[in-house]
Amino acid sequence: MKNGSWPILCALSLLGALTLTWTAPAAAHHSFAMFDFSKTMTVKGTVTEFRWTNPHVALLVQFDAKPGAAPEVWSMELTSPGNLTRGGWTRHSFKPGDRIELEFNPLRDGKHGGAFDKATFLDTGQVITSNLRAAEKPGLQ
Amino acid sequence: MPVTAREWKVVVAAIVGLAVQAPVGAADTVINPPPQAKDWSALAGLPDWSGVWTPNMTDQERRIQSDPVPWNKAAAAEVAKLEAAEKRGDPKGLFVNCLPESMPSWMLITHNALEFLFTPGRITILGESDGNRLRRIYTDGRGHPDDPDPTFHGHSIGHWENDTLVVDTIGILPEAYIAVSEAVGVPNNGDLHVIERIRLDKPEVLRDDLEIIAPHVLTKPWKTSRFLFRQRARKYDIVEGVCLQGNYSEGKDASGNAVFVPVPQTEGGNYLPPVKNESGKPR
Repeated sequence: MKNGSWPILCALSLLGALTLTWTAPAAAHHSFAMFDFSKTMTVKGTVTEFRWTNPHVALLVQFDAKPGAAPEVWSMELTSPGNLTRGGWTRHSFKPGDRIELEFNPLRDGKHGGAFDKATFLDTGQVITSNLRAAEKPGLQ
Repeated sequence: MPVTAREWKVVVAAIVGLAVQAPVGAADTVINPPPQAKDWSALAGLPDWSGVWTPNMTDQERRIQSDPVPWNKAAAAEVAKLEAAEKRGDPKGLFVNCLPESMPSWMLITHNALEFLFTPGRITILGESDGNRLRRIYTDGRGHPDDPDPTFHGHSIGHWENDTLVVDTIGILPEAYIAVSEAVGVPNNGDLHVIERIRLDKPEVLRDDLEIIAPHVLTKPWKTSRFLFRQRARKYDIVEGVCLQGNYSEGKDASGNAVFVPVPQTEGGNYLPPVKNESGKPR
């Protein structure tokens, strides 16, 4: 199936809700309650912009949200550059043109945004995730 | 005109008087004397709090249940309203304006790293994010000013009781939140007093026992604890984190200069993609 042509897959599950709430990224700027962590969307698309900026990093991805309509750009919210660095990310983790499968929790208000959960690079199979809670122990490498 | 012996005596007395008065005046105003070698070497006797400290966020949330905040009636009603808003996914967002999380919320709900600097007569806590997270804790024996200007982090004095740093903080702005999350909390409304006892709970775990005295929003002092984990790896080094930077992207002005330009955001502080919908208006 061609890139960007996959339908949006929505999955609702109690287990998913619990897991995703627990691993929700967060920083000082705002609460993450505006994202619906009971809902996971999986799409295939292309990175248009990667904003490595405080207090929240943003990843913009273009994909076919509605069959037959023009592609849309959605904005994925992440935690801070400092926290992501500790998870192995850099400001070069994504670049415009990267083709990815993206999992995210959408904004509740229907706007074109969500909380980043996981991305898989389609060309290499590399998986990149964000879990701030993984740092809740001392002496991490 | 020749100066008489009597006039010389007056001049000498005046000079002596000034000389006697000058050190008294200096003692009143100079509160940060130059540290001596012994002051620097005394730091070696303090507990080792070096490294970067990351918060135990899961425990922060657990303790809101185990150490419930003794809100007064009015504050409890406001908190209930905010909790309901957060539950339905419509949070007010206490810190969307990018002002500092302040005392005591910085210590209570931070998700970001911090570090401690020990210098003679003072301990400085520097935090990541917010851009201006900074606490100065004076350990040189000074008291609080009689009438401190209210600030986001207040005026802190500290002393050591064995290996425990006891910190007393007053002079915090009434607008500073007592927050239980980034979306739920109320302003302290004045006369806030925070007492902390900070010590190593385990060799690599730092414990901050807080007593929060907020007579306008609490029925009694709120006692709770927060924990931080020590990190020493390079990737944990504190990085700059200017909150307001997220409201801008890098762009160019008409002259080609690198400048910040505002970006579209939701009311809740989300960055929106810079695209237009079918009507041509930004979403």
